[in-house]
This record gives sequence, structure tokens and C-alpha cells, in this order.
Amino acid sequence: METILNVLFSGVFHASTLFLVAAGLQVVFGVQKVFNLACGTFYALGAYFGITVVKLLVDHGFPKPLFIAPLIAAGLLLGLIVGPVIERGLMKFVYDRDETFQLLLTFGIVMMLEDVIKFIWGTSPQSMGGIDLMYGQLNVLGATVPVYNLIVILCSLIIAGLIGYLLLNTKFGRIIRATADNREMSEALGINMKVVYIKVFTLGTVLGTLGGALVIPAGAAVSEMGVELIVLAFAVVVIGGLGSMKGAFIGALVVGVLKSIAISTYPELEMLTVYIIVIAVLVIKPEGLFGGSRV
Amino acid sequence: MENALGITRLKNLGLPLVIIVGLLLLGLPLFAGQFLSYLMLTFFAYAITVIGFNLLFGYTGLLSFGHALFMTVGAYTAAFLTSSFSLPYMELILVVAVIVSTLLAALIGAICVRYIKIYFAMLTLAFGMLFYTFLLKFYYMTGGDEGMRVLRPFLLGIDFSETPKMQFLAGSYYFYAFVILAILTFVMWKIVSSPFGLCLKAIRDNPEKAEYLGVSVKKYRWYAFVISAAYAAVGGALLAPAVGQVDPGLTYWTQSGTLVFMSLLGGFEHFFGPMIGGIVYILLQDKVMSLTSYWRFIFGAILTFVVIAAPGGIAGVVSSLTKRRARGG
Amino acid sequence: MGKDNGNVILSATDVHKSYGDFRALDGVSFTINEGEFVSIIGPNGAGKTTLINVLTGLVRPNAGNVVFKGTDITGIGPEKLSKMGMARSFQLVNIFPNFSVLEFLMVAVVSRLGKGTRFFSSLLSDRQITEGAMEVAQLFGLDAKKDMLTKNLPQGEKKMLDVASAFALHPEVILLDEPTSGVSTSDKNKIMETLVSASKKIGIKSILQVEHDMDLVFSYSDRVIALHQGKILADGTPATIEQDEEVVCTVMGQKECFKIFSSLQSGER
Repeated sequence: METILNVLFSGVFHASTLFLVAAGLQVVFGVQKVFNLACGTFYALGAYFGITVVKLLVDHGFPKPLFIAPLIAAGLLLGLIVGPVIERGLMKFVYDRDETFQLLLTFGIVMMLEDVIKFIWGTSPQSMGGIDLMYGQLNVLGATVPVYNLIVILCSLIIAGLIGYLLLNTKFGRIIRATADNREMSEALGINMKVVYIKVFTLGTVLGTLGGALVIPAGAAVSEMGVELIVLAFAVVVIGGLGSMKGAFIGALVVGVLKSIAISTYPELEMLTVYIIVIAVLVIKPEGLFGGSRV
Repeated sequence: MENALGITRLKNLGLPLVIIVGLLLLGLPLFAGQFLSYLMLTFFAYAITVIGFNLLFGYTGLLSFGHALFMTVGAYTAAFLTSSFSLPYMELILVVAVIVSTLLAALIGAICVRYIKIYFAMLTLAFGMLFYTFLLKFYYMTGGDEGMRVLRPFLLGIDFSETPKMQFLAGSYYFYAFVILAILTFVMWKIVSSPFGLCLKAIRDNPEKAEYLGVSVKKYRWYAFVISAAYAAVGGALLAPAVGQVDPGLTYWTQSGTLVFMSLLGGFEHFFGPMIGGIVYILLQDKVMSLTSYWRFIFGAILTFVVIAAPGGIAGVVSSLTKRRARGG
Repeated sequence: MGKDNGNVILSATDVHKSYGDFRALDGVSFTINEGEFVSIIGPNGAGKTTLINVLTGLVRPNAGNVVFKGTDITGIGPEKLSKMGMARSFQLVNIFPNFSVLEFLMVAVVSRLGKGTRFFSSLLSDRQITEGAMEVAQLFGLDAKKDMLTKNLPQGEKKMLDVASAFALHPEVILLDEPTSGVSTSDKNKIMETLVSASKKIGIKSILQVEHDMDLVFSYSDRVIALHQGKILADGTPATIEQDEEVVCTVMGQKECFKIFSSLQSGER
């Protein structure tokens, strides 16, 4: 019983950060119809940057136990800077093009950012040296869970709630949903697409960088993490349904927990299972669990 | 888009050019260094792959982000036959590679061609990564992430194991690969100039209208998928002995991205575009890698530039320049 | 056409099609004979395009069926349909923008000749294909522009090309969805003449068209079917329809109605 719960909690923890990146993917895809391959690299950037910021502050006397605050701030800040730069500097040139070109542009961005990471942080893995254990561990329903993990899960839930609120109850959220549904109509109704796109892309970027920042205390930043994560995020988005937030949530849970189960039982089957499910979903119900019809 | 006129124009103007380039390539080892010849050898392998890939991408309009899968099938075929089964006959390797990839592509393609655009790209990416995990996890067969060695194959039954490595690669193997490239290029040219080729272009330009004119869109996409997979397998099978080693990374999604990059760079709307892209990519990569370890950044920038400013690739730029000159501008 | 030989080539039986609560087709039945030129008329929203979509197997009706040459073609889809000998053209132009006029027509010819899977034969050396395409181009007056890219053609010629490609399939029955829409009145007759003479040369047996221009309808049709709110209002010769007050007033609008029937009243007929 204890191990099952441990596995579940571990799965939910990974699902939380996966959800953030997937949500970033979804919102950009839903509104701009672009599948942003660079989302995984934003995640990596957030992770590396988070490490740097926290290390810097702690070295200058910042109280270690409060590390989560600058960590979140770092994630947010990085996304807020990188998002608009990439959107205005590169993405905006291809909105009128075929979706395959947009996809290829994001691939080019991945290549560039991967080397930026290598340039700034080098190729050896970086970590925060187990700082996540600072908060100790809790005994929840018989399983031992690091408190940090619970905090991250909580953060993700809060962010999920905020996104939900944003989408359903705010003017901007309505604009997002309207544009995702019918871009021409929204434009005809006077919505400034340029501004919407900048905001949406930045939101997507921030979710990515934040996800990376939050996950990093529990692990290590390695150079492949960006290209590896995008494949997982892609699985989440396919299972949940392209463009659906609810889908990102459920899909992340499915993938996160599956991965966790596989790691503890049959490590050989870990990613294999995920891909088989992705293919199965794409074949049986291409719109995913919650996606709109769009094949 | 190459129209009918384009095909005839190429025959008249382009053919002499193609022959000249072909002869240059053929004679390259005589005047270039061994390393350059080796690079060109890898180019031959990629050229075959990318010319097949473009049948699917440029002519049929389907972007596969998992095509490295079939290249890897070819490469691992070479590895298995030379190392595990001690059957190092290049002709056998090529035939087995084509058979295996064709069967695999028939299956995968049947699933994938029901979808288009982003879903097709994603499905193919998923299959490519599925194959990656396969190769990793079945390590007792495939050597896992350490990969497998590829031993020197017999060419036309001749044993070259006594020849020094570079001499073999820049010599006999080079000509062998060149001949295969020449044959396969000719075959692809025939395919593209055939009624089938016209139908593929129609499917790319307006699949709905094509269907109304009685073209079996899904079936023809499937044919294009299978043919392009076979080409990729040949490319991979030729590449493996040159590199001497195969590993699962060959089918990682970023490798498929490279194939797309090459096609786009050279110009996917022209027959020789992807090959031009391939040679530029390989030579440039070698040059840039010797200057900096951040070659990916530069290539990413090039890709971004091409996508934004020159989506027709190098061939596209050249053709619009010559058109402007012809108009007297 | 007027060479109606009495053989039924296409029939619709009790066709119903609803989109949600909206009944697009509400029990439509009729037959088309070999040699007939039939026009379908009706106000916008009467269900004409839905009817064409059902007749061409693009849309599956909720009830009823469509039989072509003795085979049930309900919902078989455009590809199979064209292979069976029925083609259609579109109200909104549906083209291959990057193809030349000749290539466009060659696609249809390749399909007709079943040469789509010829992987290795040369397209341009195949005289059957190139001449087949040229023949249709000439019938439609597009041969001078055979190498021009479709997207560079004027709108009217794009439409003609779209229609010509359907003809190039040498279908037995062709359905034309508003073939003269968007064309200036002075050109309309010319287009109809082109269509009728091309049909004769190619050997098309029956033509079914949706058309709004009543003069054209009455000049060329052997039979007129009037559709209104998903139901057939009238089905007869142009002469019969012209005198049907209900049809004239519903379908052709108040102006025509007043023009024809007020003149009746004043005893001028």
C-alpha cells in the first residue's frame, strides 16, 4: 500500500510540472494554432535559470528555507522576458503561413535555445543539491512524501485554478476562447490580434519556464531535458486533446502517473507505454479525450 | 511548384548541368582529400534519404517528423547483418533494408495517411520515438544506448577487409554509393514525372479537388509514404558502414528534424532542392563545427531565416533570380 | 439535349436530410433520364446544394437513397463516384492553384484512363494523356492558355477550368452547381453554349444543373425541378413550370410573379 501511494504521489508531482508545460502548449495551440516545439526548451531554461538565481541569492545571504519564492519569481520573470522577445522577434512572421512552417520555425528556435543553454550553463548536469528536502517529509496516508513535492502540486493546482478562472471569468479569457474558436470572426469584431498573440505566447512561455523552475529542486538539469520533455508534453497534449486545458490536466495525470508506475515496476516499458498510448489515442480518437474535432 | 513546363525545361537546360555535377562527384576522390570524399559519402547516403523524403514532403505535402525511423531501420539492418549474422554482403543488406522498411512503412503508413498536417507530423514523431525506445529497451538484441558496431561489408562479393579504412571509404565504397545514388535519383525522377507524380502534386495542391477527379488520395499518400521509407532505408544502410556504428539516437525526433531541415534548406519544391540542401548542410556543418561547438545555434538561425525569409530554399531563391533575369529585370 | 430515351440514369427516392432541427431536404424524389438536361431551381436555402451533395454521394441522407445506373450510390464519396461515371462542378471555384491549365486537365485524364499508378511512365510523353487534356482545353476555349498557372487566370476562366476538369473525366452524368454564377449576363449564354456543345462532343448523357438565371433555365432545359424548403414544388417541362403560379411566385420572386401573372390578368397572354 505504501509503495503504491509513493508511486502515485511521485506521479502526481511529475504530472504537476508536466501540466504546466502542457498548459503552455495548449493555450498557444488553441489560440495561435502553432504547436510550439520550443516549449520543452522553455522548461529547460526555467530549470537552469532557477538554479542560477537561487544559488546566487543563497550565496549572498538569502535565507535558504525561503528559496521557493525567488524560484517562482525566476520562472515567471524569465518567461515574461523570453516570451515576447521570441514572439515579436520570430513567431509573428509566420502566422499567415502553413502550420508545417510554423512547426519548423519552432524547431529552429529549439536548436538555437539548446545552444544558448549550453553556452550559458555548459553541458554538465546542474542541480540544487537536494534543497527540496529542506522542507522535510510528510507522512500522507502512509506514504512518505517530500513536503516540497506537495507544495509544487499545490502550486500547480492553484495555477490550474487561476487559468480556469482566467479563461472562464475574465475578458481576456473570453477573448482567448473566442479567438481559439474562430479567429477571423474575432478579428472582425475588433479584437487586436497582435496584442492577443503576444499575451498568449508569453503566457505559454511563462507556464513552461515556471514548470521547469518548480521541478528542478527535486532533480537535475541536464542538457537533453528540453528535447525529452517536449515529447512527453506532446503525449499529454495528444491524450488530453489539442487545445483543451481540461485535457492538459487529465493528460498530465495520466502520463505522470503512468511514467511513475512504469519506473517502479517495469522500467523497460516506461516510455514505450506512453508512446503506444499516444499512437492509440491518435488512431482511435485523434481529438483526444477533450479536444475539439480537428483532423 | 514545378509545373509540366518545369519538367521539360529541366530536361533541356538542366540535364547537361546534372551530368557535369555527376561527373564531378564521380571524379572527386581523384582530386579531393580523403576526408572530403568521406563527407561526400555521407552526403550520398543523406541525399538518397532526403530525395525519398521529399516525395512525401515536397510532392505530396505531408511533413513527417519521424522519417529518421526508416533511415535507422536501414542502418541497423547493416549492423545486424555484418555483426550479428556475419552476412556482410552489401547487396543483401540493401535488399533486406528495403524489404523491412517497406513492410514497416506499409503498416505505419496505413495508420498515418489517414491524417494530415499537424496530426500526421505528430503521429510520425510518435512512431519515430516509439522505435527509439524500442531500440533502447531491447538492449540484449540491439545493444541499447551503446548501439552496435557495423563491420565492413563485401561489395559485389569482394572482400575489402584488407584495405585501409579511409582508402576503402574514399575509394570503392564511394563509387558504390555514388552508383546507387545515381540509379535511385533516376528512378525518383521517373516517378516524379509520371502520371503518379502528377497525382501526388494534385493531392498536395488541393486534396479535395483531387478526390473529386477520382484520385485515391489516401492510397496514393500511402504509396508515397512507402516509397520514401524504402529510400530512407537505403540511405541508412549506406551510411552505417561509413560511420561504423549505429545507436538509437539515429531515430530521435531531432534527427528527423534534420531531414526536414535539409529539404527545406535546399528547396522542397524542386527536384534537386533537397540534395542541394543536404550537401550544404553537411559541408557547412563540418565547417562550422570546426569553428565553434555552438553549431546548432547557427543552424537553428539558418533554419529560422529560411522559414521566415526564404521558404523556397536555395533552389527557390535561384529560380526566382533566374526568372527575374529572364524577364529582363 | 432533348434526346431523352426514357432510360432512367439517376434517381433519388424519398431523400431526407436534416442538420439538427433544420430540414434541408424533406422527402425529395425524382428521376433523371438519359439524354435529359434538367435544371433545379429554387430560392436560397431551398436545399439545392444539399441535394447536389447527396446526389453526388458526398453527404449521407438521413433517409432515402440515390441510385445511379442501377447502383445505390448513397454516401459513396467523390472518388468512387467519379469512377462510376458521375462528375460535378462547384459553385465556389475548387482548383489546383499551382497547376498549369494543361496539368489541371491532365489530372482528370490520368484518373479517367486509370493511369494514376503508373509510377515509371513519362507523363508528358503519353499522348493519350496530353491530347486528351488538350481536347478538353479546346472545347472550353482554354487551349491558348494551356501553360498558364491556374491561380493567375481571371476568375471566370478559373470557373470554366473547374468545370472543364469535370468534363475531362468523360462522365455519363454531370452535375453543375451554378455554372454561370459570377459571370456577366452577356457571357452567360456563351458559357451555356460551350457546356452544351462540350457535352455533345464528349458524349455526356445527362446534365443536371442548379441555376438561378431563369432565362437560361428555360432556354436550355428539357425539364425543370423547383425546390422549396426542402420539398419539390414542381417537376415538369419549362412550359409547364412557367405557367405554374405557385412556382413562379415562390421561386422566382415577386417581380417575376407580378410580371407574368399581372399580364395574364390584363389579358395579354
